[in-house]
Order: sequence, then C-alpha cells, then structure tokens
Amino acid sequence: MTVKVEKIEGGTPHNTLMWAGLIASLVCIYLGAGLNLAFSAYTFSFFGGLAAVAAIVWGSNTIKTLCSYGIGTGVPSVGMISLGSGVIAMLIATRFNWWLAPIVLVIVAVIIGAIIGYMANDVIMMKIPVMRRSMTEVAVIGALMLMGFAQMATSTYSLVGLASTSSTLLGVTTSGFGGSFIGASIIAVAFILGAIAVQHPFNATLGPSWKQDRMLMLAAECGFLSMIPVAFMSIAYLSLPAVIVSIVVSLAGWYYTYNQYLCLSQRDAAAWLDAKPIREPEGH
Amino acid sequence: MTVTPKPTGGVGMNPVANALSILLLIAIVVATYILYYAASPLVFMALVAVIIGGVLVGFGVHFVPVGGAPAAMGQAPGIATGVAMLAAGSGLAGLFGGAFAINSNLGFFTSIVAGGIGGALMMAITCLFVTLIYTYGMGIPSASGKVKVDPITGDSQVEYKSQGTEGHGLPFSSFVGGVIGGFLGGLGGTLIYYELLMVYEAKLPALLSAASASAVAPVAISLAGIFAVGMFLVNAVLAAYNITGTTEGFHDPKFGRFPRAIIACLAASAVCGIVAILVAAL
Amino acid sequence: MVENIVIGIGITAFAGALASVAGAAEDVESDIGSQGDPNSQVQLAPQMGYIHRIFNKAVSGEPPAYGLWVALGAGLAAAFLQVNVNPVLALALGCAIATLVQGIYATTAYLGRIASLAKFGQPVYIDILKSMTTVTMAHAFIAIFTSVTMCYLMNAALGHPFPLPLLGLVWGIALGAAGSATGNPYYGKERQYQNQKFGAGVPVAASGNIIRYAEAGERNSLDNGWFTAKLGGPASGICFGLIVFLELWRTVLFEPFWQGWGAIFVGLILILVFTFIDRYAEVWARETFGPFAKPEGAAK
Repeated sequence: MTVKVEKIEGGTPHNTLMWAGLIASLVCIYLGAGLNLAFSAYTFSFFGGLAAVAAIVWGSNTIKTLCSYGIGTGVPSVGMISLGSGVIAMLIATRFNWWLAPIVLVIVAVIIGAIIGYMANDVIMMKIPVMRRSMTEVAVIGALMLMGFAQMATSTYSLVGLASTSSTLLGVTTSGFGGSFIGASIIAVAFILGAIAVQHPFNATLGPSWKQDRMLMLAAECGFLSMIPVAFMSIAYLSLPAVIVSIVVSLAGWYYTYNQYLCLSQRDAAAWLDAKPIREPEGH
Repeated sequence: MTVTPKPTGGVGMNPVANALSILLLIAIVVATYILYYAASPLVFMALVAVIIGGVLVGFGVHFVPVGGAPAAMGQAPGIATGVAMLAAGSGLAGLFGGAFAINSNLGFFTSIVAGGIGGALMMAITCLFVTLIYTYGMGIPSASGKVKVDPITGDSQVEYKSQGTEGHGLPFSSFVGGVIGGFLGGLGGTLIYYELLMVYEAKLPALLSAASASAVAPVAISLAGIFAVGMFLVNAVLAAYNITGTTEGFHDPKFGRFPRAIIACLAASAVCGIVAILVAAL
Repeated sequence: MVENIVIGIGITAFAGALASVAGAAEDVESDIGSQGDPNSQVQLAPQMGYIHRIFNKAVSGEPPAYGLWVALGAGLAAAFLQVNVNPVLALALGCAIATLVQGIYATTAYLGRIASLAKFGQPVYIDILKSMTTVTMAHAFIAIFTSVTMCYLMNAALGHPFPLPLLGLVWGIALGAAGSATGNPYYGKERQYQNQKFGAGVPVAASGNIIRYAEAGERNSLDNGWFTAKLGGPASGICFGLIVFLELWRTVLFEPFWQGWGAIFVGLILILVFTFIDRYAEVWARETFGPFAKPEGAAK
C-alpha cells in the first residue's frame, strides 16, 4: 500500500524556484569568495553556507516534482544520487581558480546529471516525464551544496586549499595534508549532511495535506541546521572571529526558520493537542 | 489532480538508448586511450578498472533480497531495508576490509578479494540474524512468493506461505543471493577505491607541491574513499531503480532485468570515472 | 597494523563490545521513533481511519540517517581533535552536537508528516513530541558515541588508513543497515500488529490497523521501545557486534598468514559456518511449525 502523492497545484512554479535557487547559490558563493579576498579575511565564509541553503530549497521542490510520479524506491535514494554525482562535479571544479570554478561546476554537473538521467529514464526505462531534468537538477544541487559547505568550512574551494593546511607555531609555518578538509575527510561529513538535508523536506512533509510553503520553510531550516555543525567544524580551519560569525549566522537563521516551521505546522495540522486521548473519527 | 504513484518501469529494453550508452562508453574509453596511454598507462587502466568496479556493484545489487515496507510486516520475503542502502552498507563494510589490506601492501588481487569477503561476511551475518528473528522470535517459517520450489534446496515454498501474504522471511536462495550480492559489492567498491588510490598517489604530489607520496597519502586515501562511496551510491541507486525497489534475489523474475542495469552502470561509471580521474590527471 | 598482537586482539574485542551496544541502542532508538520501513504502517493508519499516538519519525531510512549521525559525530570529533582538545572530550562533544541535530530532525519529521495527514483528522500531539524526543535522543547518543569511539579506536589504535569521518560514514551506514534488517520485522510484525495471529505474516487486508490501545491506556512509542528492547534490540546488537568483531578479528589475527589469504580463508570458513546455521534454523522452522496448508491446492 502506498501513500497518495498529489501533484503540485498553485504555489511557486518550479522554474521560478530553479532559477532563483541557482542564481542565489552562485551569487552567495561568489560573494563569499570575493569579500574574503577583498578584505583578506575569513569572516565572509558563511556565504558558502547560505549558498547551500538556497540549493537545498531549490532541491526540495525538484525532489517533490520527481517523486510525484512515483519512482518505486524511496525518496532518500534521490538524495544519495544527488550527492554521489555532485561530489564528482565539485571536485573537478576545484581544479580551476576561484571565479571560474562555480561555472565549471554547473557545466560539469549538468553533463553528469543529464547522462545519469538519460540512463535512468531510457536505459532503465523508468519513463518518467521529468526524470532527465530532475536528475540534472539534483546533480547541480548536490555539487553546489558541497562547494558551499567547503567554502563555509575552509573559506576556499580550490583543490590546493582544500587539501592542505598550514599552521603557524612560534613563527614557523608548517604545512600539512592530513588535517585538511579533504585529508581529514570532513568532505565525507559535508557529503552525507547534504544528502539527508536535500531529501528531508519533501520526505518529512509528504502526505495528502502537503503544502509547498511549509516544505520550503523546512528546506531552509534543514539548510541552516546543516550549517551549524559545519560552522563548528570550521574551528579547525578558520580564525576564531570567523567561526563565531558563522555560528551566530547559522543559529540565528535556524532559530527563525524553525519557529516559522512550527507556526506553519500549527496552521496546517488537523488539531494541536497536548496530553489528550485518541480522537476516533466518527463511525469507526 | 491526484496521481497515485506507481512505478511505471517498463519491461524490455530500449535499443536506441542502449546503443547510445554503449557508444558513449566506447567514446570515453577510446578518448582516454588516445590521450593518456602513451603518457601514463595508469590512467587508462584505472578508468577500465573503475568501469568494471561500477558494473560489479550494479550487478551485485540485483542479488540482494530486499522486501521493503511489506517485509517489515511479514508480508513479503526479504530484508526490510532499502535496497540501495543495504547494498551500500555491505559494500562499504567490504571496502573497509579492502582498505586495510591495501594498507598492508598485500597486492591488487588479494586486496580486492579481501574487500569482497568483507562484504559477503557482513551480508551473511545480517541475513542469518534476519532468519533467526523470524524463526525464534516470531515463529514464522521462510517462504518465497515468487517460486514454487527453492532452486537451491528444492524445498517446497507454497504451503509455508501464510494467508494473505506474498511470503516472508529469507528462503535459502535469498540468503545465498545476499552473500553473493555482498561479495560483488565489496569487490567492486574495493576495485574502484584501489585504482583511484593508485592514480591519486601518482599524480597528487606534483599537484600539491608535496615532498613525497606518503605525505599526501591522507588526501589520496580520503579522495579515493569519497569517490568510491559516491560512485557506489550512483550505481546502487541506478540498479535499485531497475528492480523498482524490491526483489527476492536471483530467483526472482525481476533478476532478468539486469542487462539494462549493466549497460546503464557501464556508461554512468565511465562518465563518473573519467571525471574522478581527471581531478588529478587534468 | 598493530605490532603487538595482544593489543590488537584487545582493541578488537573492545570494538566488538562497543558495536554490540551501538547496534542495540540503534534498534531501540529507531523503534521508539518508528523509523524506517515499519513507519509506512504508522503513516498509513490515519488514512484507514486509525488515529494513533505514535511518534512518526520519518527521517529517511536507518542506514542513511545513521550514516549522518555517526559521520557528523566523527567529523566534529576530528575537527576538535585537530585543535588539540582532549580526545575523550572531543568525542563526547562531537557526539552531543550530532545528537542535538538528530533530535531536531526527529521533531521536524513528526510535525511535517502529521500536519500533512490533517485531511484524515490525525492531530498533532504535542505531549508525544515533548516526551518521546528526549528518549530517542538519549538512545541515539549511546549509539552514536559507541560507534564514533569504535571508529576512533580503529583509526588510532588499529591503524586503519581511513580518516575518522570516513570511517564514521562507512560504519554508520553499516550500523543502520544491520540494525534495521534485524530489528524492523520484529517491531513491524510483532509489536505493531501484536493482535494478529502469531506465527504468520500480516495479511494485506489488515494494513494500517496497527495497535493503538496498549497494555494500559493508549499506546505510545515508549511502549514499543521496552518491547523491542527485549529481543529486537539485543539481536541487532549481537548482529552488528559480530560484524565488527569478526571483520577485525580475522584481519588482525590472520592477515600475516599467506600474504593476506589467511584472512580470506577464515572469512570464507565463517561464511560457511553462518550458512549452515541459517539452513539449520530454516529447516528447524519448517519441521517444527509445519506448513500452513496442504502442499496441493494451498489457500491463497
């Protein structure tokens, strides 16, 4: 027995969300990198996290559109394939310099996602109308999320920057590889953070009374919630003021979106009861 | 408008799509050969090995018995978890063992077989405990819903199926299928990891201006590991789409769909593999 | 690899014990939260008219969810270790933050799913949210902390090349897979459908008719928790503990033999042993319980 899933009616059209998410995400990544360069500081790294939030909000609607058609397996598998294809695009983009990398990322992710979408739709013959487009979108989303988290944790998204750290002790700078974002495998944490965060909004709000604004608010909340541990992990790579700025921004954003999500859930719920017995429906 | 979701996965193959996928695969392999074989044969061997690893993973998923939500209620045989993640769990446990072996410098063949055995061992223990819970905890004998007689043991299945269900538990063929699936998953995952590790250890020191390969080892291991996980998940999810989420193992009629998954995994692994290798080789 | 084989075996045994606790805690946590495949019934019940007071924690399945909590705990611990925090403190802090993230995901899942069932009149019970969330977080902390400690031992003491977060990801997914495979049928069939016939699967016609009135009063997820802690939880614990222990044991003890083939042969022997045990259990069930119907013309 499966749960009935309704097609979207009304609300924000998917195309709007797609372009808004893509542009907002890219703008945040460039802002973070540019401002950090301009001020020679780390404090603007949190923009990477905001880029990931934009991608997650876009991604939740993509997953909703795809899963409305019934894919046979669960929703979490879409999150996995999103990050699985996204991590490959993101890592090849780290080979380019800071203003070219996001463009390369989007292009490579589109190519990988389109091929995987073609495989899923035509070779495996799932024959879902939006499959190819959705797979392409989730690949871009996964790659953008990873680049955003990498930027938030280390203030950079170049391979050299992610793979090496330098620490100064008594005026002597030593560089190492073992403790870096890639070397210490923090990228694995960003990977699975993104995979769960992108599929959770739709997975948690699916049902006959699904509402788009509630799902999108939950998507923003998941994004800010993911930013919090990334901010804590940046303690190994960024200066203390930058870490504090990241933590404050993440906590503030999470608090606001979580509050809004509670209000929206209260608005949509059949009843909001505290310590009351089961209410049997009539005739049962 | 209400759309009730039902998997519309069709049976049969799409010849045009299959041909295009094979063409894509050949194009990528030939291009890599032309561009890289003279300079560094390692890159070409790595791509071929990654493609084979991805296909092994995708093929192995078809053996793993997964019943999905009905299995959690004893309505369908198989393990009550998602198929992609169960295969990922066993394949990654195998990768863990294989990485240990690679670290001890045991050689190519020994390491990947060690990875395969690790995955098979995890699936064997998991399947055993599923059977023990069903038998001693719930009092339900195993019965398959798709075949009248178990192909390996010859046990009759129909009369052990309770009323109103499609079977339950883990018939012996499903157990064997699970072990084989775990073995192939661990084998494929370790193969992908091993080859990517070789490429990164060769190319990264120059890229990162490091003193030696051993200094860069954590980065190489981590990169190869995360790529192995990523490619594992892509191939496993594609295979999961192929079987539409649930299967009883190799005796299930759905098993006959595996050629589609092989072709899809070939092309997807080729694309992902060449990009993964280009991260260091570009 | 360890030079001193005795230390290696000691660490292996310790890791196996930690894994057993992790498996048990993981399964009980996912049963209190009703996560994974049995949750489809909790989701379905209101649509069939059965209003309930069960915690509907729909945070993906157990393998990816536990992959996240354990990897998160391990990643945070690794970051703290890099700034020279004491290892025990780093592990505990990292796991505490990971548990908080888990708790928040649990609450948003419950609210989201129940609010989307408003059409069928299923109310949101705030007291369930308040009382179950902390219990599921407590079990999750045990599972996460033992798993991350086990991964730390593998990396630091046994010399596994994978960094701590990657080990956390690998073993988190394996923990979720093993725990959910073993514990889900027990929770789904035995507890959710306790009033159905024992010794048979749940017929399709009974879908959604989960038990909502418990031994005393109305059933909530804590009732499910103490029941599954009797068999499903410990069985999942032994399952995952065996997986970790045997994987490490055959490697640490036998890899030096025959250039690694010793470990492979021991692995093969273990697989054969488990295959025989499985076959024995299957045959025992068939002979002891007997068929449901005659071989000819079985009832459908």
